[in-house]
Amino acid sequence: MSHTIRIALAALVLSAGAVLAQPQPGSPSGQNPTTRAVNEEQLLREFERLDGRVTIPDSKAATLEQPQGREWRTFREGWLPWIAGIAILGMLLALVIFYFTKGRVRLDHSEESGTKILRFNTFERFTHWLTASSFIVLGLTGLNYIFGKRILMPLIGPDAFSALSQWGKYAHNYLAWPFMLGILFMMVVWLRDNIPNRVDAAWLKAGGGFLGDAHPSAGRFNAGQKIVFWIVMLGGIAMSVTGIILMFPISAVDVNGIQLNQAIHAIIGVLFVAAILAHIYIGSLGMEGAYDAMGSGEVDLAWARRHHDLWVEEQQAKTASGPQLGGSRPIPAE
Amino acid sequence: MKTILLAVVAALAIGAGAAALLSATQKTAYMAYTTSGARVSEPGHNLVGPAWTGRI
Repeated sequence: MSHTIRIALAALVLSAGAVLAQPQPGSPSGQNPTTRAVNEEQLLREFERLDGRVTIPDSKAATLEQPQGREWRTFREGWLPWIAGIAILGMLLALVIFYFTKGRVRLDHSEESGTKILRFNTFERFTHWLTASSFIVLGLTGLNYIFGKRILMPLIGPDAFSALSQWGKYAHNYLAWPFMLGILFMMVVWLRDNIPNRVDAAWLKAGGGFLGDAHPSAGRFNAGQKIVFWIVMLGGIAMSVTGIILMFPISAVDVNGIQLNQAIHAIIGVLFVAAILAHIYIGSLGMEGAYDAMGSGEVDLAWARRHHDLWVEEQQAKTASGPQLGGSRPIPAE
Repeated sequence: MKTILLAVVAALAIGAGAAALLSATQKTAYMAYTTSGARVSEPGHNLVGPAWTGRI
């Protein structure tokens, strides 16, 4: 009897347990069973990268998430606007301060000789303006990538900004080619005259004539111009290489390489724009007579003697008889 | 001034040439990754949506 009671009790307990084990609506066991399963965030924290397997030809599609993407976004949205803003606004501020403290570098008009000397021939000026006009569009459209949605979009609205950015991107991609050609031409025509020498050290020591009254000697290009030349050459080559990699995505590097390239392209780009702002200033507003060299190609002989005395001597030695020095015909530079 | 204008025209001409050449040789991603075994559909143009939320 007692044995029968024990079996009955055991059966009762088991059946009660089975009833209690049934999922009840609203109870924890009634929740979605995958809720407590490992999720994407936990996997990412554990492995730092989520990869799967794909059968489509694009094997890159197997990567679901990787930390570099977030690091790049942090740089792109956080650091880059600050780097660009400080570089460009800092340079503009420095130029404004320089202008109001030192003023324009003037040539006393009584010093003008009335004789012109050819400083840059037609091909040299063509090369300069081919590169410069492309660079202006590249610089503006490049800055639109960084500041456009922050500054322009609130002003002109999303539709106009979208159209402008799309055309800006076309201009950026396609005007990169005349820019690169210009860099190549510049290298061919000006490399020889931009190799640093001892005269440059003396020019820099004298602060390029800005620090004192005496004007230091210079050849065809002074040390400041040589610095600009090498910034343009090295910056131009770096921008060209990183730009081509970006223009043909996944051809040479993977997605991490593209992000790294984009960061390098953007940082060099904003520093390049800042440096060229100084070049534009000194070639136009900052120095009287400097624009003529790249505008008409001819400068006053007195201006040339003041800023590039060694080059003028070299030119006079080449045309030792120098009949043109007495007249108004320009002296050929080469 | 003539040289400046000539340089600007040349820049535009070289840019237009580059555009024609690149457009003729490059394909969009959905075309490039479509094979006989895997077809990738045309994703459309505005992938972020009018409000930049991803909802088109």
